[in-house]
Amino acid sequence: MITGGQMVAGLPAINFFIMKRIVALLFIVTNALWLAAQNIQEDDSTRIVQLGEVVITGKQQPQSQRLVNFFKANQSATLEDIISRLPEMSLIRRGAYGMEPSIRSFSGGQINVMVGGMRIHGACTDKMDPASIYIEPINLENLQVQTTSNGFFNGSSVGGTVNMKMAEPDFLNNGKVTGIISSGYQTAANAFFQSARLNYSSGKWAFRTSGTYRNSKNYRSGGGKEIDFSQYEKVNYSLSAKYQYDRFTSFHADLLGDDGWNIGYPALPMDVGYAAARMASVSINRENPGKALYKWETKVYANRVDHSMDDTKRPSVPMHMDMPGESRTYGMYSEGNYRLKNKQRLAIRADISSTFLKASMTMYQTGQLPMYMLTWPDNRKDQYGLSASWQIPIDSLLSLQLTGRTDLINYRLVSREAKDQVSIVGNNTGRKDLLKNLSVLMTRKMGRNFKTSVSLSYTERMPTAGELYGFYLFNAYDGYDYIGNTVLKPERSLQAEVAGSFQSGMTRIQLNGYYSKMIDYITGEVEPSLSTMTIDAKGVKSYLNISGATVAGFEASVIVSPAVNTEFVSTLRYTNGRDNDKEPLPFIAPFKNISSARYQWQKFFAQMEYEAALPQSRIREKAGERVTAGYFLLHARLGYNSLLFKNRFDIQAGMENIFDREYREHLDWGNIPRPGRNVYLQLKVQF
Amino acid sequence: MKKILLPLLFIVSAFLILFTSCKKDDLQEPDPAQGLTKLTEGYATGAAAKVEVYVKGNTINTGYTKFYIALYDSVSGQRMDESHIHLTPMMDMGMMQHSAPYENPSSGNAVNHLFPCSVVFIMPSTGGTWTLKIQVHNHLNGKEGSLTIPVTVTDPVKATIKSFTSLHDGGKYFISMIEPSSPKVGINDMEMAIYKKKTMMEFPADSSLSVTLTPEMPTMAHGSPNNVNPVHTGNGHYKGKVNFTMTGLWRLHLDFMSGTAVADSTLYFDTEF
Repeated sequence: MITGGQMVAGLPAINFFIMKRIVALLFIVTNALWLAAQNIQEDDSTRIVQLGEVVITGKQQPQSQRLVNFFKANQSATLEDIISRLPEMSLIRRGAYGMEPSIRSFSGGQINVMVGGMRIHGACTDKMDPASIYIEPINLENLQVQTTSNGFFNGSSVGGTVNMKMAEPDFLNNGKVTGIISSGYQTAANAFFQSARLNYSSGKWAFRTSGTYRNSKNYRSGGGKEIDFSQYEKVNYSLSAKYQYDRFTSFHADLLGDDGWNIGYPALPMDVGYAAARMASVSINRENPGKALYKWETKVYANRVDHSMDDTKRPSVPMHMDMPGESRTYGMYSEGNYRLKNKQRLAIRADISSTFLKASMTMYQTGQLPMYMLTWPDNRKDQYGLSASWQIPIDSLLSLQLTGRTDLINYRLVSREAKDQVSIVGNNTGRKDLLKNLSVLMTRKMGRNFKTSVSLSYTERMPTAGELYGFYLFNAYDGYDYIGNTVLKPERSLQAEVAGSFQSGMTRIQLNGYYSKMIDYITGEVEPSLSTMTIDAKGVKSYLNISGATVAGFEASVIVSPAVNTEFVSTLRYTNGRDNDKEPLPFIAPFKNISSARYQWQKFFAQMEYEAALPQSRIREKAGERVTAGYFLLHARLGYNSLLFKNRFDIQAGMENIFDREYREHLDWGNIPRPGRNVYLQLKVQF
Repeated sequence: MKKILLPLLFIVSAFLILFTSCKKDDLQEPDPAQGLTKLTEGYATGAAAKVEVYVKGNTINTGYTKFYIALYDSVSGQRMDESHIHLTPMMDMGMMQHSAPYENPSSGNAVNHLFPCSVVFIMPSTGGTWTLKIQVHNHLNGKEGSLTIPVTVTDPVKATIKSFTSLHDGGKYFISMIEPSSPKVGINDMEMAIYKKKTMMEFPADSSLSVTLTPEMPTMAHGSPNNVNPVHTGNGHYKGKVNFTMTGLWRLHLDFMSGTAVADSTLYFDTEF
């Protein structure tokens, strides 16, 4: 009721703000275009440079792209399965579904998780709904992981950016509907999935639609124990249209919906009743290799997430409560890539977005009035950002890339009740912050096959709504209620990264080492003057800036093809994080190595894969962490494809965790073991 | 052109007249008793004054009750904005009588034509009969007279008046919670008044105690942060801040100290919203 009223009342105001922002953005973009135009001279080269060379650290994107493609070949893989195998990434797990991505142990507000350049904010105060759950691999065209020198190009951040680019309709122009239907079953969770995707193009139009349904029961951990409340059920559906206006210009419209329900979170005291996301975007793309402005994109988007937790299925709940949350985001970005004189490249991005967040909790006690409070008091974050990345070849071997970004962020509480509530513990007048990010990347080719790079960067990130305004948010991991701090300073980081890569034919080896010095690191510290709100909570923690912390580590990936039909892929990562008192930081994954060997023989393929992690004993006891044992897992996968009535069939089967190991990863919450031996079978038909 | 101009002029002037007349209406003084309920009216015999008694709401509850008295010259009907009013609340229980704490209007001049005053009813009418004697000293004619009205007092759902026998001097103290009267999630003004029973007829305001406020949600066993203990501001009134972090049933625990001696640590008020 309340929400409906606010939405209606808010509409004219929103329109007004959108107008204001569009005008502001147009101003920025036209200025940038004009400035860039002043610098352009006739280019003597018509070589098409990969976008990756400008926007993304050159070495990274193709490597991670190849890894994504390799792991995507397993059709039962969820996006989470793929992410967890990328060397830079780990997942914080609270349940079988809805894991939170982490880049080099940075997570939450420290990283950007984007869908096609769009910002989207989860509606769950317990981070049960990271944006990554809304993308099915079937919708995924590619996944970019941007770190240090470019991690902030799409949004101020200290940890980097994961951008999931959605698949586009194909111009097959055969006047036929083509598509893929796939189904799968796996034993550990008695899980079933069904997905379909259709593509149609005619003339200048192309359309694509996809749908996925997943139904997973409680899974069985290694040793055969059933994990209660690990079930989930969801549908995901999308519709995309593309209109090719001329050779260089295309228009896109994308709609995506995701509905999950009955999602269990064994590591949390309650589950998710439903989680619904809707995303819509319209964009215009222009790619003209002949022009100085050789690539240009503008996108307008809006998305919403509604989320509701459910404790009715849990036994012995001390008090029933409803915990709904909602997020509403709209925004726009414009990105242009220019070719300047002397083979220099310039990428410019201007973006604006506005996010509304609200979450509440209502507890019920018979004979009493309901107890209602806001856990995310109604707040709005307006963000105006401008970034530029300038690539300057010094000579044929050495090149320099300078990247900068600034964000103006305006956070404020937007309702009387939110202001009244926050006034109890903090400042309710809102805040404006100017964030600055800067990096220098030096890349040097060493002969034909070697490339090294060094980067230095300074980055800042905004505290999240939860860190600013969160009101007694219970953290099941350490058992404390968390309370926001409205006067937190932005977290800052000084980073250095060294990378080396070797490429020869299909063989590619890459090694990255990084070091981040965090300043004003945001963490929760016990506030003895506050009394707990949650029954059985150990105490209250308030978010504070602590003087500093360091995160350092390395990752490596190897892709080797000793023969045409054999591929070997191995990734390993290690991170070490500690604060200035030499205390380990929480949620630091231990050394981990995943290796796969795939052998293709005509229509068959066979793949063996192992995952190995060392124990993690460097733990932050203050954050409730416990030592995690190491593990070794073995997986086997088989595949066969064939043509039948002109349709391509794919059958895949495999066994994961062959030894039925009972294990958990260090980033998993609640000492809940992961799935045990799992046999899967999938069928895919392409027509 | 002229044909249009004339009716236009007419319309404009008509609007102007309507508009200005509306303005005149707006300027008329609003009824000072707006939003209040007239409890009763009568004549203060001897003072040549008509007395109208107003209260907030429709019922009178035990606890701190505000009265608003309007006086009129009984002959001319004109408002009397200058008079002294003295209250005497009385509870007749048959076998015995007792009074209650009260606050006379703080000055002889009416505030917006009304004389605000209050009575702290320390029990409901179920045990006897409450009357309120209103003595008026008419400053226009120098005469004095009084009106006695019956008052029906009921207990509210959640008590706003409680008493304790002090541990340090054995005295009986009456504590009345005045604010928050309409609690909300957030920072609320907290106001209470303390009276010490001297005799059955005398309940003077007390400023000798210091108060510690501890709000609690009894069902959740948690409190709220950053409350401000009520401190004495005058006439037995203590003001502070109470913070409610959510809706529901809240218990306001009050500890009373006289210097370093504990006067009482058992008293509390409940409020639910």
